[in-house]
Amino acid sequence: MAEYSCLIVEDSPMMRQLLVFALARVKNLRVTEADDGVDGLRKLASAKYDIIVTDINMPIMDGLKLVKRVRTDPVHKDTPIVIITTEGSQEDRQRALQLGANAYITKPIQAPQVIATVKELLKIE
Amino acid sequence: MTKDNRSRGPDSDTPGTDLKTERDEFLKKFSRGTQLTEDFVKEHERMQHRLQDLESENAGLRAKVEADQAVRELLKKIERLENEKSELVSQYRQAEQATTQFTARVQEVESEFANLANLFVASNQLHSSLSPRGVTRRIKEVLAQLVGAERYAMYLVNPEGEELIPIASEGVPGNQLLPVRIAGTRIGDVLRKGSASVADSDPSQGTFADPPAVIPLSVDDRVVGTIAIFSTLAQKNKFDQVDFELFKLLGQHAAQALVAASLFAQAEQKLPGLEAFLDLSV
Repeated sequence: MAEYSCLIVEDSPMMRQLLVFALARVKNLRVTEADDGVDGLRKLASAKYDIIVTDINMPIMDGLKLVKRVRTDPVHKDTPIVIITTEGSQEDRQRALQLGANAYITKPIQAPQVIATVKELLKIE
Repeated sequence: MTKDNRSRGPDSDTPGTDLKTERDEFLKKFSRGTQLTEDFVKEHERMQHRLQDLESENAGLRAKVEADQAVRELLKKIERLENEKSELVSQYRQAEQATTQFTARVQEVESEFANLANLFVASNQLHSSLSPRGVTRRIKEVLAQLVGAERYAMYLVNPEGEELIPIASEGVPGNQLLPVRIAGTRIGDVLRKGSASVADSDPSQGTFADPPAVIPLSVDDRVVGTIAIFSTLAQKNKFDQVDFELFKLLGQHAAQALVAASLFAQAEQKLPGLEAFLDLSV
């Protein structure tokens, strides 16, 4: 069975832990965590990931900049990106989708929704 | 010419009357025999035709009987297949029902797991910091990220036990962030009674005057403060079971984590010496 790798980019330790818990339910998915956009780019430079889940609001480098950078990276230009936003930040969400994000999840996040979105983008049954 | 020849008559080749009669008789009999033979042959032929017809009819009847038998067998087979089909349909429906029940159960378990994960993460985060600021930040994160609270404030009771003093908040304007009297207020009532007050109405429409959820904060058996949620995010239009569990968890752990962090800060981050644990009688 194929193995998949996921990079979670999130500055809140609590949200990261929640996402890791949720994605642990997806079989054959290896999860790596990054604290912010810069840390995320560093990890993307050292390994190939099948999917990226990133928060929008982060210090140092936010999710929008990360999406833009990932889409110019030849290795990850086609990698699915899921962004996490708040309901109110519709502009950020639209901007992220225009920049090349594939899906979004609104806070407060629900584990079943995270799992379903990731499975759909990875085409896992 | 002799006398004998003369006595025989005018023509010796012409038979006598008796012979002629005999010949005619014979010819008549022969002709009747021929006729009879012909009749017999005809009858024989007719009988043969009849036999063929009967054989053919017999074969037809035989075929018909066989066909009827085949039809009967086919009907029996159809009946058996119909029964098998009904049984299979019944089994399929049972399997379908079992699958539906199983899927529902899996979803229930997944949801339960997600709730437990939320509670674990909240509890884990509350106790993962020993700085009062860090604990406060985590309490706010639990409220914002897990409960979906948009405007909220955390209060601690003053030493006189008369007022609740706001120590942390989010989305609350300064003019609303005032000490709250314990007597005669809903937030104060929760402190006095020690049990949460959660409204049934849409929490996203809550107001400062009528917060949809007020949770007591306890240390051991003492209620030392409250958390008031004034409104939630727009998409959070009701509190779920997991929210009530989170309220309980916050009520039991938030103040304790805050007190522990404050004491640790007062002790200048020094861990207690070993002697502090020697009288635990384990």
